[in-house]
Amino acid sequence: MDLAALGLTLRLATVTTVCLLILGTPLAFWISSARTFPRRIAQAAVALPLVLPPTVLGFYLLVWLGPARAPGRALIHLIGHPLAFTFSGLVVGSVLYSLPFAVQPLVLAFSHVDRNLTDVAATLGASPLTIFRRVILPLSRTGFLTAAVLTFAHTVGEFGVVLMIGGDIPGLTRTLSISIYDQVQELNYSAADRTALLLVVLSFLALLLVYWRSLPRESGLV
Amino acid sequence: MSNSQASVAPPLWHHHRLQLRTTLGALALDIDLDLTTMWTVIFGPSGSGKSTILRALAGLLPNTNANLIRQDDDRNEHNLTQLPPRDRRIAYAPQQPSLFPHLTVAENVTFAQRSSSHSMFSEQNINEAVKLFRLEDLTHRYPKNLSGGERQRVNLARAFAVPNPQLMLLDEPFTGIDRPLRDAILSDLRSTLLSRGIPVVSVTHDVEEAFRLQPEVVILRDGRIVDQGYVSKVLADERLNLLNALR
Repeated sequence: MDLAALGLTLRLATVTTVCLLILGTPLAFWISSARTFPRRIAQAAVALPLVLPPTVLGFYLLVWLGPARAPGRALIHLIGHPLAFTFSGLVVGSVLYSLPFAVQPLVLAFSHVDRNLTDVAATLGASPLTIFRRVILPLSRTGFLTAAVLTFAHTVGEFGVVLMIGGDIPGLTRTLSISIYDQVQELNYSAADRTALLLVVLSFLALLLVYWRSLPRESGLV
Repeated sequence: MSNSQASVAPPLWHHHRLQLRTTLGALALDIDLDLTTMWTVIFGPSGSGKSTILRALAGLLPNTNANLIRQDDDRNEHNLTQLPPRDRRIAYAPQQPSLFPHLTVAENVTFAQRSSSHSMFSEQNINEAVKLFRLEDLTHRYPKNLSGGERQRVNLARAFAVPNPQLMLLDEPFTGIDRPLRDAILSDLRSTLLSRGIPVVSVTHDVEEAFRLQPEVVILRDGRIVDQGYVSKVLADERLNLLNALR
């Protein structure tokens, strides 16, 4: 078992999940709050990673964040080094690649909050921020859990994007999925078997948590 | 002066004035409504626009041509048209209770006081709301564990607990509440609101309820006001029909 790859994968999945919950919440709320054309464009753009091959996203990131293009040069000027083949680069790639897994459950959760509840809250003197904090957020808890678990699990299983943007540097950018690929290349099937089983178990537990939490509960929520 | 006289006599000159011209689905509304008495009942068949008027007053019909003017005690007029619902100081109990499902009865009732940036928390106000709507034994329950009538009482208590409202809107407020309890609450609510000087606009289908309140009645049909006046005059025919049906 490649413990360094396991640690790196868990760290990458955690950082990606936190980043996406922070970035995805306002984006999902904006998308869900009205049916306008710009919001539909944003929703389609967010969903793109679901249909694009990961290598396409990885390729564009590699090119646009590298020294050959202006955004990449600006970034290099800002942080002092290119993002490619670094942990930060992996995070950027993972955030973009897992965006729909965070945003779509949140859009769904926000859309399902009864509009009458937010209307009544407004007549009770609540500001939009208070309505979000005291009504929408607690009623969207399952959506947040789903977004977090799916993002985490999806990031754990990433291969194409991380290989394209991060390469295969042990301890720095080699994740579990890349480790399996290496082990198979080295014909070390028993190690690949153990690593693959770990990924299966992690993914299954994550999905089990989502489905278990989405069952009706005995709490105050109807 | 008795309470019934107090509610009929106009102590304020149009405390609120609503002009509403809009089309919602198949309903074209053309309303000029001067609210001059302490209790106004909007009466009319289903689909005539009663609830829409309350939503317009509450500020819940954005992008419609709805002008709302408030006249204060010194007869100064304030245009509320552009104000969002939270700044109108209008308490609103909708027809469907729409209780916050993740909050207990007590938390629902205190929502306005805990959410509004303009108010201090008043335990007394909350206790009064809980007592008036007979919720003492329900405060720790969640909405899903309440009957329809109980939910409606929480809905009313939550609106009643809004701090310092200038107008109260009650949409079919006693739906699902049994008659003896309704009569008791109605009497207490009416006297409390009158003593506080908070005018009320309510919607009802119930002729008996309208007569108990002794309000001014606005008859609405197909989005237009067809009659307005004291209950004994405006609902005389409906009352006669009701009495005849009971014979």
